[in-house]
Amino acid sequence: MTPIIEAPGETVDPRAGTNEEHRKKLERAWSRPGRIFGFFTATTHTAIGMRYIITAFAFFLAGGIEALLMRTQLAFSNNHFLSADRYNQIFTTHGTTMMFLFAVPMMEGMAVYLVPLMLGTRNVAFPRLNAFGYYMFLFGGLLLYAGVLTNTGPDVGWFAYPPLSGPQYSPGKRVDIWAQMITFTEISALCVATELIATILKMRAPRMSLNRLPLYCWSMLIQSFMVIFAMPAVMVASTIMLLLDRTVATHFVNPAAGGDPLLYQHVFWFFGHPEVYIIFIPALGFVSSIVEAHTRRGVFGYPAMVLALAGTAFIGFGLWVHHMFATGLPQIGESFFTAASMMIAITSGIQIFCWLATIWTGRVRMHTPMYFVLGFIFIFVMGGLTGVMLASVPLDWQVHDTFFVVAHFHYVLIGGAVFPLFGAFHYWYPKMTGRMMNETLGKIEFWILFIGFNMTFFPMHILGLKGMTRRIYTYPPEMGWDNANALATVGAYIIAIGGILFIANVLSSRKTGAPAGRNPWDAGTLEWAADSPPPPYNFEYLPVAAGRYTMWAPAEARAVVTGMRDDRREVLVTSIMDAEPQHRLVLPGSSFWPFLTALLVGGGFVGTVFGFNWYYPTAVAAGVGLIGWFWPKAPRDLRP
Amino acid sequence: MIQKTLDVSELPPFSVSNDDPLWWGQMLMGVIEVMLFAIMIAMYFYIRLSVDMWPLPGDQLPHKLLPTLALVPLALSFPAAWVASEGAKQDNRGKMLAGLGLNLALAGAFLAMRIVEWHSFNFEWKADIFGSVTWTILGLHTADIIGDMGFTLVLFVIVLTGKYAQKQRLGVHVDSIVWYLVAGAWFPMYVVIYWGPTLVGAPR
Ligand code: HEM
Ligand SMILES: [Cu+2]
Repeated sequence: MTPIIEAPGETVDPRAGTNEEHRKKLERAWSRPGRIFGFFTATTHTAIGMRYIITAFAFFLAGGIEALLMRTQLAFSNNHFLSADRYNQIFTTHGTTMMFLFAVPMMEGMAVYLVPLMLGTRNVAFPRLNAFGYYMFLFGGLLLYAGVLTNTGPDVGWFAYPPLSGPQYSPGKRVDIWAQMITFTEISALCVATELIATILKMRAPRMSLNRLPLYCWSMLIQSFMVIFAMPAVMVASTIMLLLDRTVATHFVNPAAGGDPLLYQHVFWFFGHPEVYIIFIPALGFVSSIVEAHTRRGVFGYPAMVLALAGTAFIGFGLWVHHMFATGLPQIGESFFTAASMMIAITSGIQIFCWLATIWTGRVRMHTPMYFVLGFIFIFVMGGLTGVMLASVPLDWQVHDTFFVVAHFHYVLIGGAVFPLFGAFHYWYPKMTGRMMNETLGKIEFWILFIGFNMTFFPMHILGLKGMTRRIYTYPPEMGWDNANALATVGAYIIAIGGILFIANVLSSRKTGAPAGRNPWDAGTLEWAADSPPPPYNFEYLPVAAGRYTMWAPAEARAVVTGMRDDRREVLVTSIMDAEPQHRLVLPGSSFWPFLTALLVGGGFVGTVFGFNWYYPTAVAAGVGLIGWFWPKAPRDLRP
Repeated sequence: MIQKTLDVSELPPFSVSNDDPLWWGQMLMGVIEVMLFAIMIAMYFYIRLSVDMWPLPGDQLPHKLLPTLALVPLALSFPAAWVASEGAKQDNRGKMLAGLGLNLALAGAFLAMRIVEWHSFNFEWKADIFGSVTWTILGLHTADIIGDMGFTLVLFVIVLTGKYAQKQRLGVHVDSIVWYLVAGAWFPMYVVIYWGPTLVGAPR
């Protein structure tokens, strides 16, 4: 073990010069070139993470506007505000945007920003891959919206089932754009997953053994493994089965030549069910962080929490058939998936009880983030209850494809992910901007969102039970669905008001919020040891972990790392289990290549929407980009 | 207050070994590829079980001779990749060049045999699902092989021109790891595509 010693003098490390000189050198090593060109060379995780967050939020707003359009159309019977075709495009774009362009990238972006700070390091393990992933996500989103704005928006639902989405029933380019947009966003998610796993396993602060890893980092580690195992399936479904059938006449989903549309459903949901956990597990991490800081104690039952997270991820891969109960599968199979689906309530339940125990035994401070956590617990438990109901086949047969299901998945998606996310925004905003958000306004936002949410989605349970199917653009008055729909529409506008207040709070607090300092919540994890906002190198001296909650450890127990060079981008690599320092690592600097490579590859992918042969120039372009990216630059030799 | 410190100046600024985070990066990229192939194989069996005759009427089973022979250069490429990776760890230019060069030659031989073999297929991917799934598995794997050969070629050129240091050596090391996964993934796929129909596919 590398020993901890006492610094010999006034300065932490005499070799680094005065603290002022040390900071200047770090600043020079870690900042990117200025100006417009320089903007595209950024590779620090805080910069890329923030871009992810802002871009994903913009897509959230787009998806929200689409939701409002739908709710306006459904407000009363026989409404003709939107045509049937428009409505099809809008609900598909809404679902696709929310899942692929908002929820997943937002969770990835938050992690890209937060994880290296929490681990006490200076960047992610593969900074250029990180930048490349961001641009792929951005271009994928732009591709989808280029389609939407030219009346080529997808119109076959967010899971694009064949035969409807096959070449026979969906001529034109709508489905092809959807399918290739998936490729962009999946590549981006895979880039982030890879780099997060490597970062979490190999770049933790010295002495941050795995059993001291913050729960949020655990959740991202587990989520990243899920991404690795789940995302290839959706690529097979969209890019291979659908797109090849549509562009080069293969027969994966064509029963006339031996193909099988049901196979598409299997492959899609083998990804699709884990996808909801990919969105939801990071949110559990947010909740743990917020609860710990606001009760000022470590979470109750840390090992149980970690095991429950891992268990959720594991079981999450064995549930996909519950989306296909209505397809006439053998009954024995259905029973198995019913049991598995109910099992996941156990792992979720364990976590809920651990948080409740933490809150019960801690000294609770009720700031806005805590409101969102309590809102999460309420809404998510309700969504979980309808989930257990839907897991039973007879009930599912009754309400499959009705608004009952729409209500259920918005309870789990919004309750399970968006409420914790808003809590996380309020909680980490001071770290990201250096200022506090307005508390009063925050609590008002919470109540408006909470009331609006329940008003929108609770009536949908009843609509579903009354037989209102999803994805219909209007309905006749004699169905008796008018009142509940009107209520839901009013609720949706109330949610919008809550959203506007949140944006107002974010924008105004940037100028007028109280200065936050390094650790405004008196929280325990290492991101709070950095300046707010963090400089591009995060920490002047890398921290050494002192227990699970270093910031709560007594000052004598804490230490910092010395002997890192400050004139180049050095980070420390540590061992997987015990985080013992192994070697230093020089990370690559700013570079234009990730952007350029993404541009070339992205351009090629857009071409493949129109013809398979575009894959060949795309491959060549990718090769050129990657060679430029990795070509050795002088000085090559890494001297100690 | 006295600041406690942990000094790491004695630690090296690089490591050409599995300790580097890049090992994880490449390993995971390989796992993603393998996952892709695993799903394709699962699809192959799913489709197989849903039709009465396999291959579908009119399609001929691919011949086994050439693909079986092609396993020889593929198997030999593993030790070649290993030599390159050991050379990288020991900073031995000769070993790296020999390993990378041999790996390229063997992979090239494998690829050539595969392409020759394709001309003997009597079915296209457009023919029916048998054609679609067989060609897609082969196409995906070939794309991977070509991609990794490109990567190996670039490293070969870099080492040949002498423009390399620790980072490029690490590149050589992890390139071998990708190769183990990409080439290794072929063996189960070979069994499925060429032997599967004979072993379990007698017309029902
Ligand atoms: C902000 C408030 C939101 C409102 C008012 C809203 C409303 C709606 C409505 C009315 C539908 C479709 C109804 C139909 O089938 O005709 C829908 C579908 C959907 N929503 Fe939302 N939504 C909201 C937020 C979200 C969020 C945050 C997510 C995901 C993270 C999401 C994911 C989906 C998905 C996946 C569908 C299914 C689309 C399809 O049928 O293909 N929604 N939403
Ligand atoms: Cu599911």
